[in-house]
Amino acid sequence: MNAQSNGIQAGHIEVRDLNISFRARGETVQAVKSVSLNVQPGEFVSLIGPSGCGKSTLMNAVAGFTRANSGTLTLDGKRIDGPGSDRGVVFQQYSLFPWMTVRKNVEFGLKMKNVSPAQRETQARTLLGLAGLLAFENHYPSQLSGGMKQRVGIVRALATSPQVLLMDEPFGALDSQTRSVMQEILTNMWQRLRLSVLFITHDIEEAIFLSDRIYVMTARPGRIKAEIKVPLPRPRTPDMMDTPEFTGLIRSIKKLIREESLAAMGGELGDGGYDGLSMEIGPQGVANVL
Amino acid sequence: MALSDRQSLAPPPAAQVPSLPRTPIRQPRLEAIEGGAAAGAAPAMPFSLKHWLESGLGGAVLGSFSIAMVLLGWYLATRYKLDFYVRFANIPTPMDVWHSILEVNRSTKFAVNIGISVRRVLLGFFGAAIVGTVLGIMVGRYRICRSLAMPAMELFRPIPAIAWVPMAIMLWPSNEVSIVFITFLGAFFPILINTIHGVEEIDEVLFRAAHSLGAKEKDVILHVVIPGALQHIFTGLAVGMGVAWVSLIAAEMISGQFGIGYFTWEAYSLISYPDIALGMITIGVLGLLCSKAIHICSKLAMPWMGVAAGARK
Repeated sequence: MNAQSNGIQAGHIEVRDLNISFRARGETVQAVKSVSLNVQPGEFVSLIGPSGCGKSTLMNAVAGFTRANSGTLTLDGKRIDGPGSDRGVVFQQYSLFPWMTVRKNVEFGLKMKNVSPAQRETQARTLLGLAGLLAFENHYPSQLSGGMKQRVGIVRALATSPQVLLMDEPFGALDSQTRSVMQEILTNMWQRLRLSVLFITHDIEEAIFLSDRIYVMTARPGRIKAEIKVPLPRPRTPDMMDTPEFTGLIRSIKKLIREESLAAMGGELGDGGYDGLSMEIGPQGVANVL
Repeated sequence: MALSDRQSLAPPPAAQVPSLPRTPIRQPRLEAIEGGAAAGAAPAMPFSLKHWLESGLGGAVLGSFSIAMVLLGWYLATRYKLDFYVRFANIPTPMDVWHSILEVNRSTKFAVNIGISVRRVLLGFFGAAIVGTVLGIMVGRYRICRSLAMPAMELFRPIPAIAWVPMAIMLWPSNEVSIVFITFLGAFFPILINTIHGVEEIDEVLFRAAHSLGAKEKDVILHVVIPGALQHIFTGLAVGMGVAWVSLIAAEMISGQFGIGYFTWEAYSLISYPDIALGMITIGVLGLLCSKAIHICSKLAMPWMGVAAGARK
């Protein structure tokens, strides 16, 4: 379905030395500072960091919604200079068009590509079938639960067969049970489609469960603090979350993030009262802390 | 922490490779988690006044009762010529008005008056609907249109349409056109302001979603801006229709030669009091029909509204 026509695996994101700043109330705020990262074709990469660290800004730049002040952003060697259907985007808020049925939402991207109505319908129905949503094809988004809406959002982003999927805390608004089911669905889908994913989250377990690699960002201005390889085998299953490897990774990332969260709060909490919470990096934990 | 919770809730560990054909099996479990159809057979309930009132029959009975009370009050007040600061001495009774209805329908004059008023309202209203929504979308979407159009609009907006009557008579070549113009003005501003508001209310994420799916500006306008603003546009149309009638009747009373507003005013001049009430009732019915028509159009144009469970008590 997502077969690359030229046979070469595509979907290589390269971000080099990216700087993004905003003007807010007359002040210039640096959101992203000299960030370099990459997503290899078919790789699942998460970006994690304290809230407000500019990870969404970074993703918006890759999606083409936000312009960078300096640095280069490329997809398969081609400069990114605006949004496009080669990059599917799944947003944190439900972004389905409320006035379109589930199927029309999924068809939208194909319609923009001037695919014929009959072919649009076939493709949309196939994808909805894979996601277990075919029974809801004629429902409007307001009739769906949060988890279903987000599944439709993912299906819609996949409908145009993008090379990469950009996901900005897609499960942030879901309750924890739905969330873990969605994570499983996503990891299964990704396993089948083999497309590159850049996944933004602040949930450490989620990042570890899903990713091949995790970038940890610093508090604003956002920089890459660490790059962590997740050595867990595929396919991932929920029971892996109990393995020492998994918990070791959680501990080490938590420590990295905690430092940054404290920094984000201006260090006002100090370290004194937090001895009991401070954690050691586990023995099997960090594979590669830069 | 959450780990142990998740563990207990998690599905049985999938030892086999989860290739996607597993989805059908997963489906029921998702339903359980996400709460698909929660409805079951409704239990038999004892009679409840609240439920009866919400039923169609209850509503009809209450509605008839409401209108009957008005007619009864009207009848009693005029029959006994009540005079307590408000004077009912010269007010026609419901029967007088009924006779008047039979009377006016002997000739086509009354029907012609109605036809002329309806034509004026429709011309003015549709003109306003087209200009108001198009301008509203441009102003709501493009900053430059806002900067260009809005200062002038804000200048004219506070002037009630009726205040335009003398100016309109001077401006336009015929009385007919000036009355349509005043009707247009009455409907225009509510439609414009609501359309702008509707466009501004659209969630930014929908534009991003559309762009990331490959939509061009034309597609965004067609598939995001217009449907996104439609609810507010219909609010503007409903309000605009009301103001159009207000403006029309006032204009007809002041400067008209035909029309239902003119008919009502003329009845007063000719001391044919039942016709005043008839004119008022006719205006009310026409206004009601017009707003019902807009309501029906809005339901047809926005099938996605009201599909979720209703919120009305």
